[in-house]
Amino acid sequence: MGTIRMDRRLFLKTAGATAGAVAATQVGCFKYFKKGRSTAADAKEIPTTCELCPNKCSAIAVVEGGFIRKLNPNPENPKSRDMLCARGNAAVMQVYDPDRIKQPMIRVGARGEGKWKPVSWDEAFDYTAKKLAEIKQKYGPEGTLWSSTEGFQEKFFVNLGQAFGSPNIVRHPTLCLASVNLAYGTTFGTVPSFDMLNSKYVIMSGANRFESIITPDTMDLIGSVMERKAKLVYLDPRFTVTAAKADEWYPIKPGSDLAFILAMLNVIIAEKRYHKDFVDTYTLGFDQLAEHVKQYTPEWAEKETEIPAKDIIRIAREFADAGTRALYYSGRRSSWYENDFQMRRAQAILNTIVGNWDQMGGMVPNASLPKGEFLFMPWDDPKASRVDEVKTNFPLAAASDGVYLKLRENVLSGKPYPIKGWMVYKQDPMNALPDQGKTLKMIEDMDFIGVIDLQMSDMAWYADVVFPESAYLERTDPVEVMPGIWPAVVYRQQVVKPIHDTKPNLEIVQGLAKRLGLSDYFDYTIDQWVEAEFKDLPIPMAAEHMKKHGVWAATGEAHYGKTLTPDHRFVTKSGKIEIFSERLQENGYDPLPVYNQIAQPPADRFRLILGRVGYFTHANQSNNVWLHEFMPENDLWINPAPAARLGIKNGEYVNVASSVGSVRIKARVTEEIRPDCVFMLHGFGKKSKMQSLVYNVGASDAVILETAWDKVSGNAAFHGTFVKVSNA
Amino acid sequence: MRNTLLSLLALAALAAPLSAQGSELKGKFFFKKTCKTCHTAGKPGKEVTPLTKTQAQWKAYFAANKHNKGKEKLGTGTDLKPEQMKDVMTFLIQHASDSPQPMTCGG
Repeated sequence: MGTIRMDRRLFLKTAGATAGAVAATQVGCFKYFKKGRSTAADAKEIPTTCELCPNKCSAIAVVEGGFIRKLNPNPENPKSRDMLCARGNAAVMQVYDPDRIKQPMIRVGARGEGKWKPVSWDEAFDYTAKKLAEIKQKYGPEGTLWSSTEGFQEKFFVNLGQAFGSPNIVRHPTLCLASVNLAYGTTFGTVPSFDMLNSKYVIMSGANRFESIITPDTMDLIGSVMERKAKLVYLDPRFTVTAAKADEWYPIKPGSDLAFILAMLNVIIAEKRYHKDFVDTYTLGFDQLAEHVKQYTPEWAEKETEIPAKDIIRIAREFADAGTRALYYSGRRSSWYENDFQMRRAQAILNTIVGNWDQMGGMVPNASLPKGEFLFMPWDDPKASRVDEVKTNFPLAAASDGVYLKLRENVLSGKPYPIKGWMVYKQDPMNALPDQGKTLKMIEDMDFIGVIDLQMSDMAWYADVVFPESAYLERTDPVEVMPGIWPAVVYRQQVVKPIHDTKPNLEIVQGLAKRLGLSDYFDYTIDQWVEAEFKDLPIPMAAEHMKKHGVWAATGEAHYGKTLTPDHRFVTKSGKIEIFSERLQENGYDPLPVYNQIAQPPADRFRLILGRVGYFTHANQSNNVWLHEFMPENDLWINPAPAARLGIKNGEYVNVASSVGSVRIKARVTEEIRPDCVFMLHGFGKKSKMQSLVYNVGASDAVILETAWDKVSGNAAFHGTFVKVSNA
Repeated sequence: MRNTLLSLLALAALAAPLSAQGSELKGKFFFKKTCKTCHTAGKPGKEVTPLTKTQAQWKAYFAANKHNKGKEKLGTGTDLKPEQMKDVMTFLIQHASDSPQPMTCGG
């Protein structure tokens, strides 16, 4: 396949069409937003913090007569400024969603049959505690699994699992960004922010930043690109919104991004365009790198990436010339291929040698803010080791987060020991994990499953007990510090009382703890917790300020270069920025990124690739009434050439089959994807009938994705599945 | 006398083989509850976190059993028991600046 460089006219044409399409779909939403500020006598404006995605923007709820009329942006938070995205606005409908779980329920039919008995909280707590105690008696506390996704109240759930004595806490990072975290952590000792506002030259690999998360820093970068302050080079098998805004788009051969980066390193080092003073002063292992990348010539990389060598050379030169204000953006969700860690390491190293560390327009180590802490009584460490054997299999991975897919393999095998109880907080493993058939098997093998969630996710649908959590607008949460170039502290406070028989997660945890004999570890209220956190904030009258404003943020000029002193010790093994990593070598990994070709699909199959859009967070919110208007059903992107060969027509249903499952989905025949790939969006084809808008509508990628993971971080590798596509 | 006894007990605990490690979780708690009362930015002891030293430096620090610039033994003026001191040591070493999982005490 040839490479495509989009010219500006075609960009604008495409971007205009996209904007028009979005505008058309938005019309239905506008009726909810006729008025901005309230004039009603009993109206209140209450600042809080959005929970619809991990960005944690500040918002102001307009409440009239006890109802949330709308949400406004809170301009005091530099991270969200005077902007609230579609998801943020739609949080109103999270509260008033008719599909919400409205009271605790216990399953009465077969798992997944959807027969439930509404019960009191006492009944739900008693039943769950009895089941957990039985499992503990028979298999030990390690016979339970506690899985959760990020959120301000997640810590209470994790603490309950630990206090119960289970080592098997598994969090979301290995389904998300574990490889980025580990790669940048290994290199710099921290994961920095990317100062895109001030960058002159940005390269993005598959990080569809302009489409998947629409926040002010996205707008900054779009603004910079459109005003031509910054150049954006974008690599992606799909022509996304980011591609439409970029200066250059290359539909790179999937899985070869590492080859592109290694060739850039080759050019920059061979032509001595790197930042010699910075490399000499702050890094370790440059000479080994120089020798190592000699093999990775642009001509070699052209064959791997399908990006012309002359373009790789030119981009490398331009990147190096932009120097400290050049950025290879790390991306956010990095669960792509089995080489993901090394690809992210190569990004980090490329950024290093142009000297962009701690510079305006470069990578900036995050500043933070002090915060108080509520100290609670600690429990004993678990006696058993983790079921996913992280220390053996992934010695450098974050053991406290676990490795999800290896964990599922071990649970299914019953080795090293059986897991028979599964508690889940706000996560939907049925859609978050690949190979739904395996997850269903894991569910079948459980003696007990309890789920805490706002909505009847597919996971909740297969549970034995569901505990309805109050929506974020109905509860107060712990205070959160948001590290960054301009660090901020945000506060989420209750805006309205719960409209159904729901509880905040802390109270659910406390209800269970009481019956499990663990009350001493949870003997506090959310108000006590929050008051303790307010204490050390660097704000006069912190509690009053946070309740009144919902946010406090550092302002003024950003501080660059604080780590650029000869005596600064980076938080790495050597104390330097580690281009060559002894720690990786000691643990049997390549100390410098080595390229290994990944398998490409045979002629009769396609690589399935995934992505995100700005109105859904992962598999969530496709059932939100307002957001659903943007996309009522997902579809399968397929290039016209293979579509014609297979007789597939736009808008007609096709079957998509992998080695683990098949789905039926509408085809979108489009030039905007490589002929060897197909793409579908997450969050559809739900099994839960209480996700009524997306129940059995569209398809779930989790049904057909195969299980694979990055060997170093354990991060799921979601882009390694080959599928057959045929007319339905 | 009480402090001397505590220090001796602490030293005995630290002399135990490495396999008899303390609890990171409890160590974090005792570090925050006890050590951070002084070792916080703006306070006399200045900010100390696991990142303040390397693993070797923390081991040497606990082996030397000296505190407050050598004026007193570790644990002086605190009610930390020897096993609790071992927990603190384990937490600090496991999350030191050159450790595989470096951590500020904020977590």
